[in-house]
Amino acid sequence: MDFLSFIGDNLQIFLSYTGFANATWGHFIMIIVGLTFIYLAIAKEFEPMLLIPIGFGILIGNIPFKDAGLQLGLYEEGSVLNILYQGVTSGWYPPLIFLGIGAMTDFSALISNPKLMLIGAAAQFGIFGAYILALTMGFDPAQAGAIGIIGGADGPTAIFLSSKLAPNLMGAIAVSAYSYMALVPVIQPPIMRLLTTKKERLIRMKPPRAVSETEKIIFPITGLLLTCFLVPSGLPLLGMLFFGNLLKESGVTRRLAETARGPLIDVITILLGITVGASTQATQFLTWNSLKIFGLGALSFIIATSAGVLFVKFFNVFLKKGNKINPLIGNAGVSAVPDSARISQIVGLEYDSTNYLLMHAMGPNVAGVIGSAVAAGILLGFLG
Amino acid sequence: MNKIKIMMPVLLLCTLFNVQAQRTSALKINEILVINETNFQDDYGIQHPWIEIYNSSAGTVNIAGCYLTINATDPRLYQSDNKLTLRDIYGNDPRIYPIPKGDVLTKVKPSQHLLFWADAQPTRGTFHLSFALDSLHSNYIALFDSDGKTFIDSVTVPAGQKADISYGLVHDGWNAKRLDEELRLNQSYTGGDIWIQFTQVTPSSNNFILDKNNKVENFQKNDAIGTGMTATAMGVVFVALLTLYLSFKVVGKTAVSLSHRRLMKASGISKEAAIDIHEQSSGEVFAAIAMALHESTLQLHDEENTVLTIKNTERSYSPWSSKIYTLREIPNKK
Repeated sequence: MDFLSFIGDNLQIFLSYTGFANATWGHFIMIIVGLTFIYLAIAKEFEPMLLIPIGFGILIGNIPFKDAGLQLGLYEEGSVLNILYQGVTSGWYPPLIFLGIGAMTDFSALISNPKLMLIGAAAQFGIFGAYILALTMGFDPAQAGAIGIIGGADGPTAIFLSSKLAPNLMGAIAVSAYSYMALVPVIQPPIMRLLTTKKERLIRMKPPRAVSETEKIIFPITGLLLTCFLVPSGLPLLGMLFFGNLLKESGVTRRLAETARGPLIDVITILLGITVGASTQATQFLTWNSLKIFGLGALSFIIATSAGVLFVKFFNVFLKKGNKINPLIGNAGVSAVPDSARISQIVGLEYDSTNYLLMHAMGPNVAGVIGSAVAAGILLGFLG
Repeated sequence: MNKIKIMMPVLLLCTLFNVQAQRTSALKINEILVINETNFQDDYGIQHPWIEIYNSSAGTVNIAGCYLTINATDPRLYQSDNKLTLRDIYGNDPRIYPIPKGDVLTKVKPSQHLLFWADAQPTRGTFHLSFALDSLHSNYIALFDSDGKTFIDSVTVPAGQKADISYGLVHDGWNAKRLDEELRLNQSYTGGDIWIQFTQVTPSSNNFILDKNNKVENFQKNDAIGTGMTATAMGVVFVALLTLYLSFKVVGKTAVSLSHRRLMKASGISKEAAIDIHEQSSGEVFAAIAMALHESTLQLHDEENTVLTIKNTERSYSPWSSKIYTLREIPNKK
């Protein structure tokens, strides 16, 4: 009898440790969100490299368990997930991602037509539009800055800045940033159509000139010196971005460039995605603030896209007839590389099947990466 | 030999940077209690005067090997070309305390403090100095680097110190310049002196307790809507990218002009003709030429699968021996 009651007691203890015994409605909601991410990644191919790790991370982070100090969860010090998460909290994953981005980005389009850089600057209005809105919704300036950076459409930058300014909101900000980056094909085209006339959509731009090797080598060096002297707080991101690009363009560090844009960025993307996803534990994530952040994230993307398109229209007023810019590349000023540039191409082809805008759109697109990193540096400098 | 000539200055620079990397210059004398009657006790449960050192840098600094002294008044020590060390001038004077090496506790973490007991009992441990402070007169305290001649920081604690009231920096690690900046930037700051008397003594902890982020509070107070931040930050973003734009406009023009010059020199044509050739040749043309050359060099064929060849393949792997191609595929239900 004693033995049976012993087994019974143990079974009861075991049951109290299972996910079923500890589940709340929040866990199930988050599991549905994770499954939606995985569905969007596989069925719709929306940013699968990001949504698969994040989606699966959400599942991992929302398996309910009894808080018995077994070092299971992401927020339990010393757990495996917690150790991996330190790359996010101490902010060293994002610069490594930037290293890879630098090593895979061709800045030729930007170098051949440097005025496109200004579109990348204009699109950063999304960040500060969201900052203003976040302040009106009651967030303090540091939190508002971290939320605003979603408008930069740059996941690593959003994670980097939120880990410094508002670590408690980082999960919601990261998930929001990556979700809207994946939804760029849904969000941007209607705004682009709304803000442009048919005549403007048919503008043909001059083909970019061939850029010499020397110019490509000078770009990362000059870019680093000019931007970081102005905004030193952008150094972790911009330093790595331009360093990666120099590895690529120098032509003598092929192996390093290949590692940076291949295995290294893949490893970091996996770790970043899975840990950011797992950081969305229902108990920490399902709050009114998260909902507000999602709303603000959508608005920031809309503002950024609109600002980019409208800026091109404004810029065209000052440009000569043959040098006009097609405003359909204005959306690419947000830094979601290369998705937003691809959207410019797709929407452009809808109106003229021989007008290829992709190369032109890559200019503001990579300028957006620099612009959002500079903006993050400014916010960090002001509010950090 | 040339390589060695190039590498030598590089190595020299690295060595210099390595010395700098220790950042002992970031160490500041932060707070001193000359008369300790009822205050902080040492490991032996005894009150002694103490000197607190603060690491004002963002990296860990090892204070081991540095010198704490109350006898470094010789003006030669403060000359920029000084070659004399404390030992050269004062010999084994007990008023000069070399902080022992080999103790892990001498590493001061960023923005952290280290406390030394001025009890003239160095045998009691690393943090017990070989000299005591004078409770009746002023005390000149100085910190020198491990070379014994590089001055780091000093303070003169005025005479007439009261019991259990310390003399410290108004804000940890600040100097007069930093205080001026604060007075200029933060109008709510009312302090005036860099060194003040503390009735609430703070050994091994901050002199100034930071319980808020001043930057955030300032923005909350002065820019509640966020328009100031937006205008400033967008201005900076535009300036950054405008500077890049202007630089690359110049770089681009120079590159184009150089390529014209090269073309003129190589082909012996006029400048106008060179510009014409440049404008006519697009990236697509170059791509087509490159592709043609590539195909011609490697003897590639457009429809590789239909080409029969008797050439032996040098690869160890071949689709003919691949299991992927020999296994039956799962039927496609679509």
